[in-house]
Amino acid sequence: MKKKKIGAILYIALCFIFLYLPIVVTMFYSFNSSKSLTKFQGFSFRWYQNLFESSDIMRAVWVSLSIAILATLISTVLGTLTSIGLSKNRKILKELVININNVPIMNPDIVTAIGLMILFSAFHLEKGYLTMLLAHIAFCTPYVITSVYPKVRTMDPNLANAAMDLGATPFQALTKVILPMLKEGIFAGVLLAFTMSFDDFVISYFVTGNGVSNISIVVYNMTKRTNPTINALSTIVIMVIAVTLIIVNVVPAIAGKKKKGK
Amino acid sequence: MVMTLSMSLITGCGSKSNKTLKVYNAGEYIDTELIHDFEKEFDCKVVYETFDSNESMYTKVQSGEKYDVIIPSDYMIERLIKEDALQKIDWSLIPNAEGLDENVLGLACDPDNEYSVPYFYGNVGILYDKTVVDEADLKDGWEILRNEKYKGMLYMYDSERDSFMIALKALGYSMNTTDKNEIDEAYEWLADQRDTMEPVYAGDDVIDNMISGNKAMAIVYSGDATYIMSENENLAFFAPEEGTNIWNDAMIITKDCADTGLAHEFINFMLDPDNAYANTAEVGYTSPVIEARKKAAADDYAEIDAYIPDMTRPNDEVFRYQDSETKAYFAELWTKIKAAN
Amino acid sequence: MKHFRRMIWPYIIWAFVIIVLPLLMIILYSVTKGGNELLNIQFTFENFKRMTEPIYVDVFAKSFKLGILSVFICLLIGYTLAYLITSFSEKVQSILILAVTIPMWINTLLRTYAWISLLSDNGLINTILEKFGFDPINMMYTDFAVVLGLVSDLLPFMVIPIYTSLSKMDHSLIEAAHDLGANKFKTFWRVTFKLSIPGVLNGVIMTFLLSISTFVIPKLLGGGQYTLIGNLIENQFISIGDWNFGSAISVILAFIILMSITFMKKIDKDEIEEE
Repeated sequence: MKKKKIGAILYIALCFIFLYLPIVVTMFYSFNSSKSLTKFQGFSFRWYQNLFESSDIMRAVWVSLSIAILATLISTVLGTLTSIGLSKNRKILKELVININNVPIMNPDIVTAIGLMILFSAFHLEKGYLTMLLAHIAFCTPYVITSVYPKVRTMDPNLANAAMDLGATPFQALTKVILPMLKEGIFAGVLLAFTMSFDDFVISYFVTGNGVSNISIVVYNMTKRTNPTINALSTIVIMVIAVTLIIVNVVPAIAGKKKKGK
Repeated sequence: MVMTLSMSLITGCGSKSNKTLKVYNAGEYIDTELIHDFEKEFDCKVVYETFDSNESMYTKVQSGEKYDVIIPSDYMIERLIKEDALQKIDWSLIPNAEGLDENVLGLACDPDNEYSVPYFYGNVGILYDKTVVDEADLKDGWEILRNEKYKGMLYMYDSERDSFMIALKALGYSMNTTDKNEIDEAYEWLADQRDTMEPVYAGDDVIDNMISGNKAMAIVYSGDATYIMSENENLAFFAPEEGTNIWNDAMIITKDCADTGLAHEFINFMLDPDNAYANTAEVGYTSPVIEARKKAAADDYAEIDAYIPDMTRPNDEVFRYQDSETKAYFAELWTKIKAAN
Repeated sequence: MKHFRRMIWPYIIWAFVIIVLPLLMIILYSVTKGGNELLNIQFTFENFKRMTEPIYVDVFAKSFKLGILSVFICLLIGYTLAYLITSFSEKVQSILILAVTIPMWINTLLRTYAWISLLSDNGLINTILEKFGFDPINMMYTDFAVVLGLVSDLLPFMVIPIYTSLSKMDHSLIEAAHDLGANKFKTFWRVTFKLSIPGVLNGVIMTFLLSISTFVIPKLLGGGQYTLIGNLIENQFISIGDWNFGSAISVILAFIILMSITFMKKIDKDEIEEE
């Protein structure tokens, strides 16, 4: 049993090296004194200074973060409710919604982008933050449904019925019985939605306007003169996530130990 | 009349600070300090957006997005003029135009500069590693790109216009040809080159790759060459005698622009010798403002000849606007070149 | 449970406006010619006919080959990873899954640039090789580089759905199989894997959809000669401005993908019905 565990840890470690290698390299070049992203020419903090002085990038960070959080939140609620409702409907309707739902995942980003661009123009919506948010909800919700719906399918429907027979309101049955059973699916949906939103360039680019841009737009438009300012930003992002994870997980553990000690 | 109108607009700017100017430029193509300076000096707000290519800029504008000042390239300016999307420039409002290099004015895309004011300019050539490439081979001009000595050692630029420009010029044709026979001949040239030389068709990653010295030769814009050479001293740049593409990115005012006074002030501001110098020093592309260029050539890019491209060579041309049929034809051939293997 | 039936209506209305309407527009573009304005439309099947030219068929074949290969590698690595993650305590599991996702929050372009600096001729890996006296290996602009980049980009999209379906598996089933004398391999194949098929299918579909329409990673790691469907469509919409042909390509792509998904789902159903 012990031996097996070591093997498992080794394999997981190897996978993580593979996933994190490019990120370590990205962080490494954030300390490069020259503009290059592939040749290290000396140590410096100039890109960090550049980052904090650049109001454009700081604004883009805010746009990316707030859009990702809002879009994830809205699409998770929308997607989860739809998934639950879906399993209770006729087969034809079910198949139809599932297939329509696949369209934004299936279409290349550029097609979705052009489609939405034409749509927003047709409705005379002024392009900017709102249009970007709507577009993000549009392509994030399908990922939530794809993650949650299979869980709904394998869920035992009798539990919710039993709860309601025992006098629970539908709302209580939903929040107390159904949602906890879908926990893993929702968690996966949240992760995928946030990831897709945070990293999107093509769709955001074509549906935004009025000077609203996210980090990806800034990065992609740097093609000619890419510089490590964004690497500095990535390093900070990773650091913040790492510190948060440590605080959330290690601090309660230590606190728990202390309690046990007493 | 225009003069007094714009004067009143400018003075009006002082009392109210809700004036905005929407500027649309290529990414990383400006010293952003200049935008803040302009906002302060004229008490207005600049909404600054960027694009990654002329074509995506055009798609965006076509979707109904409105901008006041855009900075596209020559052939795109010609297209916008043709589609009646631009306003004429009132040169009397741009006193700093005096400092412009005459060689950068009057290019074929806008012969009298009725609509466009130069921003950056340059040409296209071969960047080569002096330690690998024999200088004697350079006399072959573009044909060096088919010299089997350098098989597997070169980057072509992944753009159909630039690649066909090279083949057409090597064959002695105009790069703006619409003659299908000439285009087909150029296709054969490129297909032959692909088979014998196995080049890599790279995009802007060429910049980092050449700094690291990964291959011996690359097709690059003179402005990029300037920057790469300042980071890797083994490299040199040359534009073959058979002719090359000279390009010019220029500022234009759109029909959507209401506050043309402010737009002209912006253009004038960018041509101020000090501002133009700050811009070229930051970006690395060549300024058409003589004073700024002189200073940059002496201070920042000393001994880098790529910084000042010769605009007077007889065989060089500017890209002209292509109708959609020609463009589709080139695009299809280029897909064939790249995808066939 | 009837109460929840109506909950799908907001999404149906939303999806109709924001997914179906643009889709209809794309389909309309694909069967017309006459520019992007849709004012003087003429119906035509020319756009689809153009797709049958060998050059475009080649591009499709190449994209599918690359997509299937990357999905397959992702599945091998990803299934093992997801399976091993479930062997830890629930708390550790969620941290590990989060750790699989976090790399995706760093811009794809940046991560791809990092791969370039690792793989290029004078890159980090070759520098290390040379230090130890080995010959440098040419890795950039090869199939290897493209598949590597794609797999590292898509792996989480495989791991997350598989993990979701494995995590709630009834372990008593597996133990029962053991007790009944089934060997480990048999148990895994007959019980564990079978129960995780919905997750596997989900992961395969998602990574396949993403890999088939990608263009940034192949372009940077494989060079311009790596022209895939994604590039083709992007070129038509942006560089060439031929929205009609671009739409036609994406309609065909969508059709082929829909067929493959239906096919895969059928396998899923057959498997379940077998029991």
